[in-house]
Amino acid sequence: MKKYSDLEFLALSKGKKFLYKLASFFASIPRGVANLFLAIGRFFKKLGIGIGKEFAEIVTTFTRGDWKTKLSYPVMGFGSIARGQVLRGLLFLLFEAVFFVYMFVPIGSKTGAQWLSLLPTLGKVGPHMEYNAVLDTHYPVYGDNSFKILLYGVLTLFFIVAFIYTWRLNVKQNKISEDILRSGKKLKSSGDDLRSLVDEQFYKTLLALPLLGIVVFTVMPIVFMILVAFTNYDGAHNGYSNSLFTWVGMENFKTMFSWDVGGVNYAATFGEVLSWTLIWAFFATFTNYFLGIFVAMMINKKGNHLKKMWRTILILTIAIPQFISLLYVSRMFSINGLVNGALQSLHLTTAPIDFWGTPKLARIMVIIINIWIGIPYLMLIATGILMNIPADLYESSRIDGANPWQQFTKITLPYMLFITGPYLLTSFTGNMNNFNVIYLLTGGGPTNPAASGTAGTVGYTDLLITWLFKITTGSETKYYLASVVGILVFVVVAIISLIVYSLLPSVKNEEDFQ
Amino acid sequence: MNERVEKRSMGLKASRALSNTIIYILLIIMSVIWLIPFVCIVLQSFRVESTWQVGYVIPQQWGFDNYIKLWETNFPKWYLNTFIIALVVAVVQTIIVLCMSYTLSRFRFKMRAGLMRFMLILGMFPGMLAMIILYRVLDDLGMTGNNSLPGLILVYVASSGMGYYVSKGFFDTIPKSLDEAARVDGATRAQVLNKIILPLAKPIVIYTILTAFMGPWGDFVFARYVSQLKPLGMNVAVGLQSWLATDTMTFNNYTLFCAGGVIVALPVAILFMCLQRYYVEGVTGGAVKG
Amino acid sequence: MKKVLALILALAMVFALAACGGTAPAPAGNDQPAPAGNDQPAAAGNELAGTYDILVWVGEAAVDLTKKQIEDFNANNEFGITFNAEVNPVSEATAADQMLVDIDAGADLYCFPQDQFARLVQANALAKLGDAAKAFVVENNDPGVVAAGTAGESVYAYPLTSDNGYFMYYDKSVIPEEDVDSLEKLIADCEEANKFFAFEAQSSAWYLASWFFATGCVSEWTVDDEGNPLTVNDNFNSDNGLIAVKGMEKLLKSPCHTSSSKADEFANGAAIVVTGTWAYEDILKVLGDNMGVTDLPSFEVDGQEYHLGSYNGCKLMGVKPQADAVKGAALHKLAQYLTGEACQMERFNELSWGPSNLVDQQSPEVQANPGLAALLLQGAYSRPQGQIPGAWWNIASVIGDEVKAAASEDDLKAALKNYQDKIEALFELDTSALLFVGAWNGWNNADEADTFYFTKNDDGTYTLTLDVPESDYMGGRIVKPGDWGTDKGFAQVTDGADLVKDLGADNPDNNIVFAEAGNYTVTWDGAAVTIVKN
Repeated sequence: MKKYSDLEFLALSKGKKFLYKLASFFASIPRGVANLFLAIGRFFKKLGIGIGKEFAEIVTTFTRGDWKTKLSYPVMGFGSIARGQVLRGLLFLLFEAVFFVYMFVPIGSKTGAQWLSLLPTLGKVGPHMEYNAVLDTHYPVYGDNSFKILLYGVLTLFFIVAFIYTWRLNVKQNKISEDILRSGKKLKSSGDDLRSLVDEQFYKTLLALPLLGIVVFTVMPIVFMILVAFTNYDGAHNGYSNSLFTWVGMENFKTMFSWDVGGVNYAATFGEVLSWTLIWAFFATFTNYFLGIFVAMMINKKGNHLKKMWRTILILTIAIPQFISLLYVSRMFSINGLVNGALQSLHLTTAPIDFWGTPKLARIMVIIINIWIGIPYLMLIATGILMNIPADLYESSRIDGANPWQQFTKITLPYMLFITGPYLLTSFTGNMNNFNVIYLLTGGGPTNPAASGTAGTVGYTDLLITWLFKITTGSETKYYLASVVGILVFVVVAIISLIVYSLLPSVKNEEDFQ
Repeated sequence: MNERVEKRSMGLKASRALSNTIIYILLIIMSVIWLIPFVCIVLQSFRVESTWQVGYVIPQQWGFDNYIKLWETNFPKWYLNTFIIALVVAVVQTIIVLCMSYTLSRFRFKMRAGLMRFMLILGMFPGMLAMIILYRVLDDLGMTGNNSLPGLILVYVASSGMGYYVSKGFFDTIPKSLDEAARVDGATRAQVLNKIILPLAKPIVIYTILTAFMGPWGDFVFARYVSQLKPLGMNVAVGLQSWLATDTMTFNNYTLFCAGGVIVALPVAILFMCLQRYYVEGVTGGAVKG
Repeated sequence: MKKVLALILALAMVFALAACGGTAPAPAGNDQPAPAGNDQPAAAGNELAGTYDILVWVGEAAVDLTKKQIEDFNANNEFGITFNAEVNPVSEATAADQMLVDIDAGADLYCFPQDQFARLVQANALAKLGDAAKAFVVENNDPGVVAAGTAGESVYAYPLTSDNGYFMYYDKSVIPEEDVDSLEKLIADCEEANKFFAFEAQSSAWYLASWFFATGCVSEWTVDDEGNPLTVNDNFNSDNGLIAVKGMEKLLKSPCHTSSSKADEFANGAAIVVTGTWAYEDILKVLGDNMGVTDLPSFEVDGQEYHLGSYNGCKLMGVKPQADAVKGAALHKLAQYLTGEACQMERFNELSWGPSNLVDQQSPEVQANPGLAALLLQGAYSRPQGQIPGAWWNIASVIGDEVKAAASEDDLKAALKNYQDKIEALFELDTSALLFVGAWNGWNNADEADTFYFTKNDDGTYTLTLDVPESDYMGGRIVKPGDWGTDKGFAQVTDGADLVKDLGADNPDNNIVFAEAGNYTVTWDGAAVTIVKN
């Protein structure tokens, strides 16, 4: 591939510029991969050195430290308390106490250590039925609960990592305090600590609560979800009342990527759903984008009165919950719905059109109806940006004799594209996971005969995300397979984001706006 | 010379008038398309003669029967549930989102870039599956079934820190020099936020409240899980949908669904219309810069 | 200072954890409430006396009636049982789905259509009936319905109705009486009047099977105690099957067809709806005197008439397995009452649900009900639903879509072939693949152990040539991949018993332990193991 210098590159035509960029992107992949491996190597090297250093420091802190420091090793926070930093010390101590209570005192039914010890097997004793002759009743006797073992086992691991980190902080704290005292300065008091939390350390106060929520309610479920992909957790192995589930290694990924599992071709189904997901996301994003800009320009055109009224009407689709509006629209287009009724009574068609029953038509319809949902958002965003385009740009171009179309392609569009690049990416990936529109309009249908039996029937308009939902609620509730699909969705989204970011004109420097 | 200018502007005027007419026609057609479904829903809700889905729009008999009947169902309870959830979520979520976005916009600390990248990656996982585990956790906490209210609030609020992009974009547009001037005058960071930034950020605050308030009205997937189909633990979306179950054995409540839909949509839509200005400012100020 | 943040974070996490753990219901077996012991004296049943909180799911229409019936039970039962029941409206189809989402949170007593039965048994969401209850159910109910609640030898559910079949409702003002026997005439009438013909043949295997039954095709299954398929006799992919899909094509490709079975289609431009007795009251409200009810029509292919068949199924009531045996027993008493003679008759009177109770079925009111009469008329062409594995419904339901999309006869044949492949694949997965696990392959029952797979012979038996190396314990048994079943081992060895050791009680897993190392041929014929030394 010919490499252009900056000047040569600028002289190229638009199409060539793009092709060149694309080509250089693909040309850079091998180097990128090589760099990735090098980076991984460096990371481990750094990690190894880092850990070594940490250990060395822990040891030297102990050997050189005074008795306060030494006692802090088993009793966290002792050094801080002894040196007058009572608040810090007490927090350390409290944390240690809670940790050991959690690990070794049974709360509920098991201790943290017990949960952890069951994690490798996910439980040993399954449920079984017994018969009571007097009562003439069969009743179950339950054993372990794989789900809880996995859940609390993972939580315990999180907790242990947090404990090690905190313990290390405790050690470091002692070293720092000793150093400060040795240099003859005074330590910060508890009051100072609290004060700094609303001042230079204010960000810690602000972030504490949001981050806690994210860790417990987002990170933990994702870790759990990833782990489920390596088990056989499904409706028939719910881990408690019918049968335990257990680790199966890479088995589920093999199933997903094999051509023939009991007559069902998961790989082909996945490919089919993925390709429609991408097609859908492309059209859903760009039809909305361009039509939204177009509508915004119409509404904001000079001399157009009633701007506010038009906007208000369009915004209704944002204001009204989708489960009402989309469900209704879905029924309007059903074979005996209002639209077919109107078409027939106007004699435009003789037979009703089966909008949702014909694969191609159903696909086109969901894209069209998505425009109905999506234009208002884009209209709002575009309105804001259009107002920001300096008016003199248009004025001077008009004097130069540019017609409206030229103004659009030379000024408006480039400006819009530049500003909304990242937005386009997020809306593309958002559309890939656009559950509401598909689920409420078609429920994924019409059924795709070639993909039946793959853990719930798959339809022509099913996106990966609705397929995933069907797997978890369908006739077999294969959570493990849903989890595999979830991981694959992540991989696809990540790859697309990576490609787009590297193709964007400039990764924006966020400081530019301040 | 003068004549030519006159002529040109005449031509300009004529073409402008023409293009405006075309635009008006287009906009009117669009408005009709946008309004039809909503008008139909409202009309259906006043239909008295049958509760089916029917092939015509204008009711043969008008009346408030459906609205009156709503009061005899569990609908008021669902409505109250959703309203409480929406209210609490609106307050707490706004606080969390503002903390998060303000911090990421204004502070430069060691973990900042890593944190943002981490959240970006987290956001790429489909949230659908997390439902299963969150449901179990809530079940353990006793926050499911008829007690689903606190459970739903907890889950909606807990992850809301992830949605900081838009308001961070907005904060980025407020000049940093304002902060620095105040800091020079001896204000603490907390005072800067309260006294200087928040008053300036009114549009984004209202935008955040509005989106947070509207969210819970439309949740029909997770809320269904959590309610375990207990009639008193449902929100409006789950409850109304249960009336449309594609089950042949239940009585058909189509017009009732429409009436419920109108009652749900009305306050949300009115609130939205009133605060529209802030919504637009928030979206345009924040969305594209996030 | 970042320690402070870390501390706060970690602490908060601990509290969250402690909160989770603190309220967690005891999962370990030994924490469960102790069930009443077996050795108690057999009293008059008053050990059931007590008050129980229960959750009940029934279809919306039956909520009030069920509440009343439970009150009646509380007032009149001889055991001193009082139920504090919460009765929620959950439609029958949803109930099964929801039970599988979370059995613990599901209802103690719930109703479901027959086709969900296998799934629920597989998921252990149904408590097996005790011997007395089983005898009572068998004695008093229609045998077809009892069979629907039976898997293997055990009965798992109580019969609720026996009317889960379909027939034809039509609008007399559109369809002339003399046309109702011919599908072609009905389609022509609908097209002419611009009305719909609603028949859910496109998305539901339950309705779609009607066409195959018309031409004499069958799909008969047997399932084991856990609801897994054992055998199938299926000839949908045959000449007769082709005739069936040709008939189906006539309706599906007509513009007047809509794939639905909802009563409200009549309010929406339909002249014909194929559905069941549950829609009777609703349709009567719309059509009034114009309502016609009759059996399904016949269709004609190559000059021959075929009368559409149907499934004849039922709805069942199930009890969720209860760790507390006393509560479980009390629930069984309630279920037995609710599905007994009196309650079924009440449901017939108020909701027109056709009873499965033999006495009720003979009552004059039931005999005179027009909907049930039509069902009876259709009965001559219907098949009992029996036990069908859950996967079949998905596999068969796509035939409708394929027929609608078909452009030629080849496409129709391809649809049937596709169906057959999937049915066969179902068996490849479950019973054909057998392997011999033992000490010599590290007890590996996963896929990699392929050298120990049996091969299937033409006569349906399975053979494996096995090298047994010398070791302390030369034992193993036949299992399905990923499964540790103990039903194909030492006890099943018929020929070649002299080659294996009888370890008696030391062999709890029913392993086949070879007496000496060597090369053996092992054959499994579905019931017995034959071993020959080579």
